[in-house]
Amino acid sequence: MTPYTSEYLRSLVREDRVHRSVYTDPQIFELEMEKIFSRVWIYVGHESQIPNPGDFYCTSIAHQPVVMTRHLDGKVHVLFNRCGHRGARVLNEESGNARILTCMYHGWSFRPNGELAGVPMRRDFQETTLKEAQSGMARLSRTENYRGFVFASLNLGVPPLVEYLGEARHGIDELVDRSPEGEIELWAGCHRYEYSGNWKLQFENLADMYHPPACHASTVGPDGRQFSRRPGNRGGSAPFFAPNGEAIVAQTGVRGFKNGHSSEASLFREEQAGGIWDDYRAMMVKRYGEERTAEILKNRRHSMAIFPSVDILIAQTSVRVIRPISVDKTEVQVYPVRLKGAPPEISTDIVRFVNLTHAAASFIQSDDLEAFERCQQGLASSGTEWMLVARGFGQEVDEGNGILFGDRSSEVGQRAQHYAWRDLMGAA
Amino acid sequence: MSSAGVVVKPESRAELRLALADLQQFVEQEVALLDEQRFEEWLDLFADDGAYWVPARAGQDSPLNHVSLFYDDKHALRLRVQRLRHPAIHSQVPRSKTVRLVANFKLETHAADPSLYQVTSKFVMLEDRSGYARRLFGGRYTHVLRRKGDGLEIVLKRVDLTNCDQSFPSLTQPF
Repeated sequence: MTPYTSEYLRSLVREDRVHRSVYTDPQIFELEMEKIFSRVWIYVGHESQIPNPGDFYCTSIAHQPVVMTRHLDGKVHVLFNRCGHRGARVLNEESGNARILTCMYHGWSFRPNGELAGVPMRRDFQETTLKEAQSGMARLSRTENYRGFVFASLNLGVPPLVEYLGEARHGIDELVDRSPEGEIELWAGCHRYEYSGNWKLQFENLADMYHPPACHASTVGPDGRQFSRRPGNRGGSAPFFAPNGEAIVAQTGVRGFKNGHSSEASLFREEQAGGIWDDYRAMMVKRYGEERTAEILKNRRHSMAIFPSVDILIAQTSVRVIRPISVDKTEVQVYPVRLKGAPPEISTDIVRFVNLTHAAASFIQSDDLEAFERCQQGLASSGTEWMLVARGFGQEVDEGNGILFGDRSSEVGQRAQHYAWRDLMGAA
Repeated sequence: MSSAGVVVKPESRAELRLALADLQQFVEQEVALLDEQRFEEWLDLFADDGAYWVPARAGQDSPLNHVSLFYDDKHALRLRVQRLRHPAIHSQVPRSKTVRLVANFKLETHAADPSLYQVTSKFVMLEDRSGYARRLFGGRYTHVLRRKGDGLEIVLKRVDLTNCDQSFPSLTQPF
């Protein structure tokens, strides 16, 4: 029996490699729920998912059912989805609208801010008991909103959200700034896919520019170009190979950030243009001016992964949520984004293209899912105890503010994730 | 679009039965091409303006305002077939084998264009991939078909899965 001391857990991550048990040991998974998912900021949802008073959206944090609600005064809350009386889960649908949330078991009811609203046959309880906070749906007191992205933490002592996000908050800014109104909406539902593998396999993939030439080989056509991955007559499709035969994607850079966040440089060289995208650009120029518009629409980043729960897909204009189910089961959701104020065709184009890249049936995602499952299967072998994240190790450039840059699809992003894992799991 | 006179609308009950039998046979042959992995021939059944659509929400009214499991125009469908034939499609090592059963055919009126045939049916599909658990899918097909010469072409194949709003492992086979 392994004693899971802090020292032992720290020893599972070395500078350029990770012990395989980090992916396969169910007890380590439960410790992750306690020491990572219950300690840091976890993305709950976007406020556009609950636009009206009484709207709710259910999810979970570290196995615990929670619900994001909009109270009648418009304020957003995150509550534990649990009745104060005997503990039943109150809301059983993922989303909906209810001004009063009623427990199915004995009929206790709650306001969207969690306050107890009604108790059948009330006089048989002592009023002092019903007045206790215990009797409501308890609120997660640490709930913060960054530009519409609602995060919560089970850790009362967690530092402020902006501090946790650090430089990675710019990933959210770069997506939201693409709206002529500076606001986005998750408006078109989400792709849901799952795989028989550990959640970190998906998370590492979010910073992985090295895999496409092999993993996604079947998406490259006979003309040497990948299919058009984003809309626009120009700036959507790109040649896959450089003149020296290397895949261009694998020549791009990656950044690792403090607290385990990571970003990939953009695959694309050109601005999206042609047709409606020209109209959109004109709207942006009108709002922000030419210089700022060029800055916003620059192909700076492909994505920004915010450890350990959400990925901002800037190039694909969508948001991906990673939900660990068990040590070898993970569910992922991908929400196409509406850029508020942009022409409607922009939003519908985004929906169409995200179907091609991120549906369970998409050209890209089905390859990645195969890779995650094969990793989980392969990591079961005891012949080699470590898996490597060694690419570009020792060649990182320190850009300051806790940012390390590595070119040529460096595994610096995965290292940042694992170092954050080590700090959290290794904490006393 | 076919000119008047090419589209023969069934008037009598006998003609209706004949038309439904033709349409039914077309759908059975269409899904047989998928069972037999004759993907290129399957692709050829689609009209140039045709689409293959698997909604991700029950009763979804548009592929543009909500995500779909598949929403391929003919161009995307061609890419999909090319990919299914690519030697490096890892999610098809080993390959899937599928079988589809189709039943309960009904001829409906196409709301927007009465010259089109709309056929609905119920289906069940098994997918087996060596080393993996058997997968079972089921739901409703809607085929919107157009006369093309002596035959038919697919304007829309819509597949409403009973579990369309759930989370899926990788999907490689069209339904």
